[in-house]
Amino acid sequence: MITGGQSLVSSAPAFSNDGKKLLVCTGNIVSIFSTSTGMLITELEGHTDRVTSVIVVPVSGPVSKIMSYCWTSSLDGTICYWDFSAAELIKTIKAQHPIISMVIPSIACHPAESIEKESKLYAFVSIEDTSKLDDKQKALRGQVQLYSLTDSRRVGGLLCETRKSHLIHASKSGEFIGIVNKRKLYIWQIPGKRFRSDEVKKIRLHPTKNLSTLAFHPTERVVAGGDITGRILIWRGFGKKKFLEKLPVRDEEERPGVRGDDDADSCTTWHWHAKEVKFLFFSSDGAYLYSGGKEGVIVVWQLDTGKKKFKPRLGSPLIYFIDSPDPNLSCLSCADNQIHLVKMPTMEIIKSISGIKLPFSFPDSFECSNNEFAFHNDAGLIALLTEDYCVQFFSLFENREISQVQVCERNFQPVDDVTVFVALAALSPDGSMMSTVDVKLPEEGLGGFVTLKFWSGSHIGEYTLSTVIYEPHSDAQISAIAFRPGGPGHSMAVSSSLGGDFKVWVNSSNMPQEGQMHQKLGWKCQSVGSYKNMPMTAATFSADGSVLAVAAENLFTLWDPDKNVLIAVIGNTVAPICNLSFIAQSEYLVSISRYSKPQLAVWNLSKLSMQWSYQISTEAISTTKDGSQFAILVIDNTHGKARKRDRDGIILLFEVENPIPLATWRVKKAKGGGLAFLAPDLLLRDTKYPGEGSHSLLAYINGDHEYVIFDPRGTAEVQIARNARTSQVPDKESEYIGYTSIYGELPEFDMKQGDSISEIPFMPSERPWETIFTGSSHNLPPLTKLCSTFLESLLERRTTTKG
Amino acid sequence: MADQSKPFFSVESARKPSSRKPNSLTPESKFWRSFKNSEPTSNLILPVTSLDFSPNHPFDLAAACSTAVHLFDGSSLSPKSHSPLSSFTDVAYSPSFRCDGALLAAGGESGLVQVFNPLSSGQALRRLRAHSRPVRVVRFPRVADKLHLFSAGDDALLSYWDVSTESTLLSFPAAHRDYIRACSPSPITADVIATGSYDHSVKVWDVRMSPDSNQVCTFTHGNPVESVLFLPSGGLIATAGGNSVKIWDVIGGGRLLHTMESHNKTVTSICLGRVGNEGAGSCGESRILSVSIDGYLKVFDFAAFKITHTVRYPAQLLSVGFSPSGLSRVVGTSNGVIYVGKKKVKEVALEKVGGEIDRSLPEPEKRVLRPTHYRYFYRGQSEKPSESDHVVKKPKKVKLAEHDMLLKKFRHRDALVSALNTKRPNSIVAVLEELVARRKLLKSIENLDMNELGLLFRFLHRNATKPRYARFLMGLAKRVLEMRAKDVQSSEDLSFHVQNLKCMVKEELRIQRLLQEIQGMLSPLLVIAGR
Repeated sequence: MITGGQSLVSSAPAFSNDGKKLLVCTGNIVSIFSTSTGMLITELEGHTDRVTSVIVVPVSGPVSKIMSYCWTSSLDGTICYWDFSAAELIKTIKAQHPIISMVIPSIACHPAESIEKESKLYAFVSIEDTSKLDDKQKALRGQVQLYSLTDSRRVGGLLCETRKSHLIHASKSGEFIGIVNKRKLYIWQIPGKRFRSDEVKKIRLHPTKNLSTLAFHPTERVVAGGDITGRILIWRGFGKKKFLEKLPVRDEEERPGVRGDDDADSCTTWHWHAKEVKFLFFSSDGAYLYSGGKEGVIVVWQLDTGKKKFKPRLGSPLIYFIDSPDPNLSCLSCADNQIHLVKMPTMEIIKSISGIKLPFSFPDSFECSNNEFAFHNDAGLIALLTEDYCVQFFSLFENREISQVQVCERNFQPVDDVTVFVALAALSPDGSMMSTVDVKLPEEGLGGFVTLKFWSGSHIGEYTLSTVIYEPHSDAQISAIAFRPGGPGHSMAVSSSLGGDFKVWVNSSNMPQEGQMHQKLGWKCQSVGSYKNMPMTAATFSADGSVLAVAAENLFTLWDPDKNVLIAVIGNTVAPICNLSFIAQSEYLVSISRYSKPQLAVWNLSKLSMQWSYQISTEAISTTKDGSQFAILVIDNTHGKARKRDRDGIILLFEVENPIPLATWRVKKAKGGGLAFLAPDLLLRDTKYPGEGSHSLLAYINGDHEYVIFDPRGTAEVQIARNARTSQVPDKESEYIGYTSIYGELPEFDMKQGDSISEIPFMPSERPWETIFTGSSHNLPPLTKLCSTFLESLLERRTTTKG
Repeated sequence: MADQSKPFFSVESARKPSSRKPNSLTPESKFWRSFKNSEPTSNLILPVTSLDFSPNHPFDLAAACSTAVHLFDGSSLSPKSHSPLSSFTDVAYSPSFRCDGALLAAGGESGLVQVFNPLSSGQALRRLRAHSRPVRVVRFPRVADKLHLFSAGDDALLSYWDVSTESTLLSFPAAHRDYIRACSPSPITADVIATGSYDHSVKVWDVRMSPDSNQVCTFTHGNPVESVLFLPSGGLIATAGGNSVKIWDVIGGGRLLHTMESHNKTVTSICLGRVGNEGAGSCGESRILSVSIDGYLKVFDFAAFKITHTVRYPAQLLSVGFSPSGLSRVVGTSNGVIYVGKKKVKEVALEKVGGEIDRSLPEPEKRVLRPTHYRYFYRGQSEKPSESDHVVKKPKKVKLAEHDMLLKKFRHRDALVSALNTKRPNSIVAVLEELVARRKLLKSIENLDMNELGLLFRFLHRNATKPRYARFLMGLAKRVLEMRAKDVQSSEDLSFHVQNLKCMVKEELRIQRLLQEIQGMLSPLLVIAGR
């Protein structure tokens, strides 16, 4: 069983002390990525629920490369201590309740080695009290508690209770922590040395709007808060009254912007963001404030003057911004499940760690088009439609992005109502071609636009645009596109529209005509078909490509795609058909209807009649490439709301002739999910299934785009160590410091070049001190050579006489 | 490291189809396009029936036109001083250079074959009399044979001459049953020649065999043969006649290998061309160049049996020649124009000589720059980085159109006005569509003032019926009129525009009705055809 597709941006990541690794919370595990290559290095496995925060123990000095420890907290109510260079769990502390957020303010003053010494380490955790039912409106479920990490136990009482649990923010110095709770901002001062839990003092600030985030200045008493309308409030000199116990003598007028008797010197408001501010972050020297939100723009505020700089077009709402110990590297988490590594002063993106793209909401009228995913079964790839007009190719086996293809060249802005989107994507069976449909919705009936695009490429994921067809079915929506199976010589595709016709497209580059002067490459329409002007709701080719099935509302029609001849009309389902698929090695076809009267029907094509049917709401279907089995994903809404949280879907595996399912599995979050039979990965089969024949694996992807791949026939769970599949650890990369980190490496200077100069011949004469220095200065031999000769010449040679 | 974030897309980029252009231009068609066309200045009016290049440097060109043979210099393709050679009593045909380029022979309507010195003017050196009818083809052997000459004519006689004595060594009377209009000596032996005739047949002759015995090989082209060409291997022959060019295997006994039928009218002439930029003496791949009455020159790759390039000329083409230097391509037409395509020569050799001369000159002494001179303040600015220098690059600034800038700043109305001012329909439609996507189109139209509204109406008047935009712009025009009806009534200028729109709509309705009529006529036919 392989799982993957976890969110990389559920909580803030953390850099290791040398800035070479990035610790990312991905579901129940912490994944460690290399910042230089963007590849996965290792994973920390141990938590049983989502990891909510990760804190690296800071170590300075040369040991920082060896010392790599971190604390993590999770929704399973535990706090763990890890050595992440070896991926070893060192210590576990149990808290009773799910931990939403954890900070360890005093961690900076505690060297990692001295944990066992007298100074104790305390963590502030924000928990969700699950003992209180959430039915009650007034229940205070959120609590901020204090844990002693050294003693592994809870100390002191509650710091505060709130309706919901909130993220805790801590200042870099560890002096303050704070949370936002609606229109209040709580700040606690933590005494640094000689910590005692009863010495924590609290102040409250009152902004006018609901706050969404806050940040502390690294050195001064400045706190910034962002609210849901996009304003940024900056309080300077907060807490002087309470924390420093100075009694201010100044009156109200001298505290501009401060409301009521809030404990601050001044409060300034900046407004640029149009939507909620998602993160605020002070640069390490405290001169700049970074802010970001739904617009996908980082705004850099100069703190003293309020001047702004922008980094626009990040393509998705921003969530977190974290800096690293390396001054020119930061990381930015985006809502589209991407983490960008940003080169700092210039704000260039140097690397992106991309997870699977998250689902986005189509406009209502397009709900029927269920082809949100396109699978490539042989390569184990999934093509996902993304919100920023791309198609993402994601390798299910390797759990990483392969590539992205920009379908519609438009600058993406995260907005509430979607007006332009990629509606459909289909891959040809050999993966060499792709077809996409992008839709522009009209404004009050004006300017709606549908574009069909055909792409070709040498291999999957690398496509270039080959043909653009504007308004293929005049202004009608396209309900389905499908490629014809078969070799590249028979490239043919069909698009069906709700306007009542379908078109068969052929790639003219495959049909060279003798004597044609200007061969125009690309796709063109070969034939148009319609049946009683009924809206065509689905289309598919049979496995051998000889029959084209097109659904016309409650019926479906069978066509010869080459001659465009109607062969047969079958069926009378109770509701419009949404999906048609042939069962590969048999004479059966499965149709799916949804909405008011859901139906799953299996049709026998030789008898032109219905074989069997169920009245169930089917979300997705997949058929095996060979053999006569198919799997469906069924939404189970019989249990009502009580069971909504957990398993709401069922996967059923059928043999086509038999209405009794072969196997069933219960799954979570089935709404908007998908199913596919994948050819087993070659690499996997060789190592893990010696001797067994090829049988395909079933991949299930849920509504949140998390997926699992398993063997539908295997009785025992096939456990595949995921670590075996992680990509190779990058080699120790050469380190750049000082000059080279800024300007790059200097070219190698060959020191030996000096030696190759031939020695200048000179003739020592009888009186060498006279001639030795004659000649032009650049011709003289080096002084080191001359010296001995010169000294020698000064000495008188005495002939020894032996007598 | 480059920034990996997405680039800025201008609004127009959304409409552009793929970058298909670079694909359509193969390296070969690039090569053939690199010949720059120009016409020589000679003022001929009668058909240019034949063109021949000298095989020796500087590859002079001879062209038969009317009663003279015109000579052109090989490098510049300008007429030579002693051109034309005009000692013909009637129309001259088929000039042919000897293998060393020192002699030129030509036939004529009178049946007389004359041999000239192409390097000087004057009378013919030799006059060969044997033919009683016009001599259409005269050919020197291609291989080192300086003594002999082939000639053939409308009297179906093929003669083999000893040029110096003006005597016929061999003659093949009634070699064909019709006019002989084509012949080509073998490129590998001086003794073999192929002839093509209007009796549809192509025959290969060997002068070593007695005239009584039959020809070596014969095959039938199927149309009157206009041109015959031995391909460089000596084993293949290309023949042109009718609309087709055929390739034959001679060694295999005259087997047909391929038929190229891409011309629409009679193919009049074929010659050998070569692809490759290296200049004379290099071994680029050979191609057949064929010209036809339909005005097309086609380049045919006889290794792959594929047309690789096509050029269209505005006249009927009669003859074609390709310089052995590989630098020029000439086409003769029926109206006397000779189209010359010349390749630019990279004058490497000349530059080298020049460089050597320069070096001997004493270098001008460099003056030391002083602060009194303005250059002192610019010193070092034009310095180029040496190879070992690490260059810190400035980030490239993206150049944006004005409407893109305004859209970036969400100034929608201004962006629309700016696009309307460019008067480029592509940009205007792109901006309009972007405004639709932002749900701001109607708002910005509401805010347009009178002049700007006039601009919009003018744009709609010109473009609303273009099929590509029609669906969108028609709806837009209707909506604009509804929204701004009051303004239109109050302003004279705008009502003029509306009048224009009305005319446009009337015209469009008329066209649509016509089209519907045509469709009505066609659809019963299609239904019948479908049965």
